[in-house]
Amino acid sequence: MGNYSFNGGIVIKNPYLLNKVEIIQASLPKKIILPLQKFDGKAEPCVSVGDYVLVGQVVASTESGFDVSSHSSISGVVLSIDTQDIAHKSGFKFQCITIKSDGEDKWIDNKGCNVDFLHYSKEVLVGIIQKSGIVGMGGAGFPTHVKISKVLDCHTLIINGTECEPGVMCDDALMQFYPKEIILGIEILLYICGADRAIIAIEDDKQAAYQALLTVNHNDRININQIPTKYTSGAEKLLIKALLDIEIISGRFAINEGIICQNISTTKAVFDAVINHKPLISRIVTVTGNGVSPNNFEVRLGASFKHLISMSTPNTKEHNYRMGGMMMGIDVVDINMPIGKTTSAIFVNNKMPKPIIQECIRCGQCSEVCPIGLLPQQLYWYVKSKSFEKALKYNLPDCIECACCDYVCPSHIPLVSYFSFAKMFSKQQTIEQDKVNIARERFKYREHRLKRNNLERAQVMLDKKKFLKEKMVKEQFQKQKIIDAMKRVKQVKDNF
Amino acid sequence: MTLILSSTSWMMRQVIYALALGIFVSYYFFGWGIVLQIVLGVITAVVVESAFLALRRRDIISSISDGSVILTAILLAISIPSIAPWWVIIVGISFAIIFGKQLYGGLGNNLFNPAMLGYVFLLISYPLQMSTWSINFLSFNQALEVVFNLSNIDAISGATKLDEIKNSLSLSSSIQQLEIHFPSQAWINAGFFFGGVYLLFRKIISWHIPVSFLVGIVITSVLLWISNVDLYIPMQNHIMLGGTMLGAFFIATDPVSASTTLKGRIIYGFLIGVIIVIIRTFGGYPDGIAFAVLLMNMTVPLIDIYTQPKVFGK
Repeated sequence: MGNYSFNGGIVIKNPYLLNKVEIIQASLPKKIILPLQKFDGKAEPCVSVGDYVLVGQVVASTESGFDVSSHSSISGVVLSIDTQDIAHKSGFKFQCITIKSDGEDKWIDNKGCNVDFLHYSKEVLVGIIQKSGIVGMGGAGFPTHVKISKVLDCHTLIINGTECEPGVMCDDALMQFYPKEIILGIEILLYICGADRAIIAIEDDKQAAYQALLTVNHNDRININQIPTKYTSGAEKLLIKALLDIEIISGRFAINEGIICQNISTTKAVFDAVINHKPLISRIVTVTGNGVSPNNFEVRLGASFKHLISMSTPNTKEHNYRMGGMMMGIDVVDINMPIGKTTSAIFVNNKMPKPIIQECIRCGQCSEVCPIGLLPQQLYWYVKSKSFEKALKYNLPDCIECACCDYVCPSHIPLVSYFSFAKMFSKQQTIEQDKVNIARERFKYREHRLKRNNLERAQVMLDKKKFLKEKMVKEQFQKQKIIDAMKRVKQVKDNF
Repeated sequence: MTLILSSTSWMMRQVIYALALGIFVSYYFFGWGIVLQIVLGVITAVVVESAFLALRRRDIISSISDGSVILTAILLAISIPSIAPWWVIIVGISFAIIFGKQLYGGLGNNLFNPAMLGYVFLLISYPLQMSTWSINFLSFNQALEVVFNLSNIDAISGATKLDEIKNSLSLSSSIQQLEIHFPSQAWINAGFFFGGVYLLFRKIISWHIPVSFLVGIVITSVLLWISNVDLYIPMQNHIMLGGTMLGAFFIATDPVSASTTLKGRIIYGFLIGVIIVIIRTFGGYPDGIAFAVLLMNMTVPLIDIYTQPKVFGK
């Protein structure tokens, strides 16, 4: 398999390297908050306030085939079910279940190990994955069972272990400590989606992880592929381009081309779900930044950011917090917010004065690093002047918001913020335009209907008139006949 | 690619540092005049820019400190004759900043290169002052007196010499002018060339514009020269004389008014080179860089539309 590449992107060294990669088991949180936000629609809570729940117990489920269940990650009592702020790009509030720990960590009955997953049918395995609450753990949180069951003629399964976000090390640690579990998880996924081969993509700066996987992999359908370390190599379409030299056309998805991408953490979750019957209740989170001593923790989902930060010996300075990654992550203000299934990292950085935003001088550094080949400087110009149509013409919707342009901009312009705003705005505009179009169609139809009704009515009237006229003529004719008959009778009488 | 984390003001400062060598060579040959012009230009520029920022209710300190206005002033000051009277640079830089920059909305919004706009304005309005070049090294006092008309110029620099300059530098004798200043101008060009190489090395400018600019000059001048060896200036003179290197590395590369796509930059630079040779050969003005740059500035929006890079997945 050749190594291809994509244009643009930037090389950023991990700013907070570890001497030794390890996974620290985080202590049990005293309280967890489980957001019920789902990809499509909403999961309904199936417990009520005051109920006692066990670890792994389903607390929210959904009827739709699209969404996944939520499980309690601790044993304890349901404190409340209400809407709360959670760390999400949208900034919306979500319905959440809050559970207070009893400190016992009591599990529901799970039926032991079952390594021989081949006895199960694919449908059963897909069901297990759905019921175990597994979603893509890289960042987007797309339900895994949907991807693997909806794909047609799948030929390649790509396992994304690139972890290209600088500073995030959770997947690196996972690969080093759970290589066997990952390989078995991939074999399960291969069995379900029926792909010919699986490719594990790892950036070449993670040698230990690469070696770990290489030594345990004895399956010749699974290739482990090193790719050059470059930020945005983990973006799905770019990764496919780098591995297979296939460029997925704008507007289409990998799944349309028979390719499935899964994050490497997801494969471990699949292993846990199928082999151990353990739902997704914990994940590995990197806590890093210059405000703490960096480390990886395995932590129960729903624990607060604060819970992990307090275990990473933070310094006493004031901090800025960021979730997910320094490039594509989001800033977090309230660290009482919970860790979710897609929270890969928490950045704790000493507060720094924000750089002053200067004017764009069209230096073009942004377009040099754009992996999609956009012209951010032109897009910025159009978005700033609210010429969204022009921005759309310059392929704004293809922007993957990787923030490479933000990173290199000498004027410190938050370009991606402008772009995501413009995208949302134009989407809103399209929706409204659609509404207007529908209304116009309706109006036109109403006009048409009224006209048609009038015509029909007129026709009916005309027919009626005609009928009456004919009737009158007929009647007259009959009257005339009677008169004639009477006349004739009279004549006959007179003749007598 | 490797990256330099930089700010816009840092970039502007680097460009100013890169100009230093060329300015020094110019000082070496012609003395203090150029220094006076730069000082006058920078002071005027800062004052005018501040006044306009105040009128527009913008933050003065942050806009001045981005360095762009100082760079514009230096570029204009080193483009005009070093013995031009004091009011020439003041009028020129004021025009450049007001009409070339602030009326468009300040840094980043201007269509034309402000320094070149000021230059062309001066060239058209004051042709005599703009074509009277020094041929001798002037001491600080001499330069001061020439620039400020403090005393009779003849008494200081000698009537014969000034007359000689004036006589030999009429507007129409462009070739003659280029010939007269051959060695000194070639050295100044070399100074700006190495400054430009420094900018390339620091990745402040990309190679596209300077290289295509020079290629444009070389191809056009060689074609002309082949067509008639006696009539046209040889290629090496085009490269080494006039403001060629200053134009290639410092003026055409102004990112605000240049094309912003890679392909576009190559077209932009190349056509500037072609137009320069055409103006120098067939035009009425001694040098054509300012006109060529302004003409190409106008075409930038069009070039940018037709040279968009290929988008992933399209």
